Amino acid sequence: MAVTPFMICIIMIVTLGTFGLPIGHAMIVSSIAYMFMAGVDPGTAAEQILNGLFNSYVLLAIPLFILAADLMNIGSLTDKLLNFCLVLVGRFRGGLGHVNVVANMIFAGMSGSAIADAVGIGRIIIGMMAKDGRYPVAYAAAITAAAAVIGPIIPPSIPMVVYALVSDASIGYLFLGGFVPGVMLGLAFMVTNFIIARKRNYPVEPPIPLREVPKITINAFPALMLPVILLFGIYGGVMTPTEGAAVAAFYALLASALLYRSVTLPQLYEAILNSSKATTSIGMLIAGAMAFNYVVTIEQIPVSLQHFIGGFQLTAAGFMLLVNLLLLVLGCLLEGTTILLVVVPILIPTAKALGIDLVYFGVVVVVNIMIGLVTPPYGLLLFVVANMTKQSLGSIVREALPFIVAALVVLAFITAVPEAVLWLPQIFGYKG
Amino acid sequence: MSNQLIEAGRWLRRRAEDVSVALLSTMFAVFIIQVFFRYVLNDPIGWSEEVIITTWLWVVLWGAAFVLRESEEIRFDILYSNVSENTRRILNVITGTVLILAYVASLPAAYRYVSFMKVEHSAYLRVPINWMYSVFIIFSVACIARYCYLVYRAFTGAKQPETDPAKIGD
Repeated sequence: MAVTPFMICIIMIVTLGTFGLPIGHAMIVSSIAYMFMAGVDPGTAAEQILNGLFNSYVLLAIPLFILAADLMNIGSLTDKLLNFCLVLVGRFRGGLGHVNVVANMIFAGMSGSAIADAVGIGRIIIGMMAKDGRYPVAYAAAITAAAAVIGPIIPPSIPMVVYALVSDASIGYLFLGGFVPGVMLGLAFMVTNFIIARKRNYPVEPPIPLREVPKITINAFPALMLPVILLFGIYGGVMTPTEGAAVAAFYALLASALLYRSVTLPQLYEAILNSSKATTSIGMLIAGAMAFNYVVTIEQIPVSLQHFIGGFQLTAAGFMLLVNLLLLVLGCLLEGTTILLVVVPILIPTAKALGIDLVYFGVVVVVNIMIGLVTPPYGLLLFVVANMTKQSLGSIVREALPFIVAALVVLAFITAVPEAVLWLPQIFGYKG
Repeated sequence: MSNQLIEAGRWLRRRAEDVSVALLSTMFAVFIIQVFFRYVLNDPIGWSEEVIITTWLWVVLWGAAFVLRESEEIRFDILYSNVSENTRRILNVITGTVLILAYVASLPAAYRYVSFMKVEHSAYLRVPINWMYSVFIIFSVACIARYCYLVYRAFTGAKQPETDPAKIGD
């Protein structure tokens, strides 16, 4: 077999990536090398990256959703929300574990980023759980990481914005499609927590006196209103998801500054700086993918793959099974946005040819890739909670295993039953 | 390196961070203005999208050039974080050199493309596109300089950057 420029490009990405070059740079460098070898003007890399970033308006939701979550975390919105969840589910066995999951489900309704959720909620709840050794720290870290997976599945969702970019599926319907799977994941994690808590006799939280409940609810009200405003805004047809993201960030800022009076200027600066850094990290991956996807397109890789898979006479179900296995393996090794930007676009033409609905496909893919955030050895959420708690990755992974299994059960279910994903979008008029 | 140089470097980084914060704040503010004009005053404005999209482009490339630290970049570090200091040096020299070669070799072509875009202007504000796109040249040059420094550090024995998030302090 002759060595083609494309093969060299792939080998370079893998080698440079494995040797520790940031993935965005690895993709840009390898694409430039390809352009030289294939006789394409190397200025094409600049053209692809600049035009790609300049013309994808939907991507603007990403910095804004990141900012919204960071602003909520500096204000005490998160604390108030946790108090409210304590009232709801604290009195069950393993109460704080349930509080963790439910807080993540509500938080998921305003934030689109799993990392922001793990940091924002974990910052407080890991301390609550580990206090006086009531829960092992590793368990607190594990359930925090697992529960944060729900964040980008319940709308809004940054990965779904990225998927919408590569698939042209509607962001609005993708968001709706994630709702039921997100709630199912939450319930699955609560059942898992309940079983473990009973076996290990984890504590129950003291009941909160009834007279304090109205006050706690009123305190949490501004935080609880945010998902409502966001969803009504977007699905009432008032705002685009991108504008919704801006309004969410604005609301978080106002609520923190005016209602809770807990924001100082240095904090605000820090939050915006953090958001801009997170934006840059993801943006560099997108830039790299823009350059690399040009290479993939002129090499007609998606079409070749479609013919290749066509040769196996795969059914839609068989293809979905293969996709899930492939993405789960990749999710153990690669960062999620990279998979979404590089691998998923190659799969989409085949999915289309097999008659698979692209909203259903997108939600399954996002759920799968989010599970990849907690699967070792490469799981961003595991790194985040390990860094927060200073526990070894190994001990956290051991505690996270039952939650990973629970998530896989949900993934298998939504893959097998597309209605679980498409039911809600169809109520809102999706004709898929 | 002398202390003054390190101090100057820190000062410059903080100013670069100021720019990132200003860019993202501008994006956010203009978004709010846009929503306000469209839905409250019922009088949509066109220039806002151009400002927003330009700030997005700049946040990404400016940040990648000057603000993001080594530990904050997204990378696949299973190998890198598990090898000895000396092996890290070798890896950094290899990846850094390849990056420098690619970015230097493509810089003239990238410059030609960006300066060619002066023939196009944005739809509302009539700003020449080459101004908006100039950040790519800044990005390329900064990355070349940065990786030259990283390769230099790999040779001179300074401690190699840590990438495992579990080992980096808060």
